[in-house]
Amino acid sequence: MSLRAKEYYRASSLEDAYNKLKENPKNVIVGGGLWLKKTGLEYHTIIDLSNLGLDQIKEDKDFIYVGSMVSLRDFENSPIINKLFNGVIAFGVREVMGPAFRNIATIGGSVYGRFPFSDVIAALLPLDVKVKLYPNQEMSLNDLVNYRGKLDGIIEQIIIRKEEGKAFFKKVKTTALDFPMINFSIVNRSGKNYIAIGSRPGVAALAYKAMEEADKGNYEKAAEIASQELQFLDSSNISKEYRIDLTKVYVLRGLKEVNE
Amino acid sequence: MKLRFYLNNVEVEYEIQPDEYLAQVLRRNGVLSIRIGCDESACGSCTVLVDDKPVLSCGLLAAKVEGKHVTTVEGIQEEANRLADYFGDEGADQCSFCSVGFALIVHALRKEYKNPTDEQIKDYIVGNICRCTGYQSQFKAIKAYLKEAK
Ligand SMILES: Cc1cc2nc3c(=O)[nH]c(=O)nc-3n(C[C@H](O)[C@H](O)[C@H](O)COP(=O)(O)OP(=O)(O)OC[C@H]3O[C@@H](n4cnc5c(N)ncnc54)[C@H](O)[C@@H]3O)c2cc1C
Repeated sequence: MSLRAKEYYRASSLEDAYNKLKENPKNVIVGGGLWLKKTGLEYHTIIDLSNLGLDQIKEDKDFIYVGSMVSLRDFENSPIINKLFNGVIAFGVREVMGPAFRNIATIGGSVYGRFPFSDVIAALLPLDVKVKLYPNQEMSLNDLVNYRGKLDGIIEQIIIRKEEGKAFFKKVKTTALDFPMINFSIVNRSGKNYIAIGSRPGVAALAYKAMEEADKGNYEKAAEIASQELQFLDSSNISKEYRIDLTKVYVLRGLKEVNE
Repeated sequence: MKLRFYLNNVEVEYEIQPDEYLAQVLRRNGVLSIRIGCDESACGSCTVLVDDKPVLSCGLLAAKVEGKHVTTVEGIQEEANRLADYFGDEGADQCSFCSVGFALIVHALRKEYKNPTDEQIKDYIVGNICRCTGYQSQFKAIKAYLKEAK
């Protein structure tokens, strides 16, 4: 199974790409094209953003700007990203497949896809991250993840606020190349705790009540609350009960680690 | 559509379909060293280098390599032969379906890290699956090769 398309279009600007996208509901933006291949869907025109300079990571005093065409590999190797939260965010992304895969997969495709198993979204969700969509939308990563329906626009970049703190990331998987059975991303930034849990099997979500409890220093209670406030379900390779048990263990471990 | 790129430093022009992936295009044009294993970007046997970076050719749309340099095992023949000796010494090769992908990923590893740690080697080759051996022999062979090839 592979994607099918009649035409390939190399956009010359974001405006050009957007106009092309709007020309036909069967036109599609391609990031790395890895997931598009897996879907096996039929399109009219594949729109490639490779020539738009969106493969750069830049920073200023307060923010990091990651272009949507930055590969996962360039992201994880970026010294700017490695300075963030003791390198844990880069580590989370490094958990996806091997380097030859991550040289293709893009940040834009990983975020836009809102994949329930996504380690990339889980790693980023506890941070203050905005997603800039061309032509004129900016929303938090959390709003984007929870957005139901088809997103209008093209992801231009994600913007990460630089903050002080510590992070913990854990992907539970059966083999090195597996999709996660569940993933945990726990961050203490500017003194507050953030807990994201993904692949439950739903897409990563913040456990707000548990975060409140963690801010009071009650880590064990916070872990217990996290295991109750989010929805956990059975999958073919992991039971709901095991997901809940893992949540109690890793949320506690993560909170202890980031608050040490 | 027409696609132009450099294949092992020789400029080539192929007629491709807009939705074709690189592995298919290379094989159709006679580069049979490309092994398509899973065809789902999950096994590493179709690894090639694009502008010196390892990529899975079954997961990369062919149109994306326009103007770029694509290296297959033919482009690193000498190094692949030397690595094969180390694989032979350690019994790391049985059916050899994965060995082309291994040669290319190890070449890329050597370019990226001067003195890789064990962990870095494992992280780098993790995406290259071998269904015959237990990876220990390959790991030993690669380590020995990297020591010699410094
Ligand atoms: C075999 C396999 C195993 C995987 N395992 C994991 C895993 O363990 N953990 C994990 O986190 N992820 C995993 N993934 C997902 C992977 O990491 C990528 O997130 C995914 O392939 C999408 O990246 P891409 O650049 O290839 O996107 P594409 O396939 O190009 O695009 C994905 C979607 O995003 C849209 N899109 C792309 N770029 C933009 C943009 N700039 N603006 C708007 N829309 C855009 C496309 O139209 C499409 O709908 C896996 C994927 C595969 C194929």
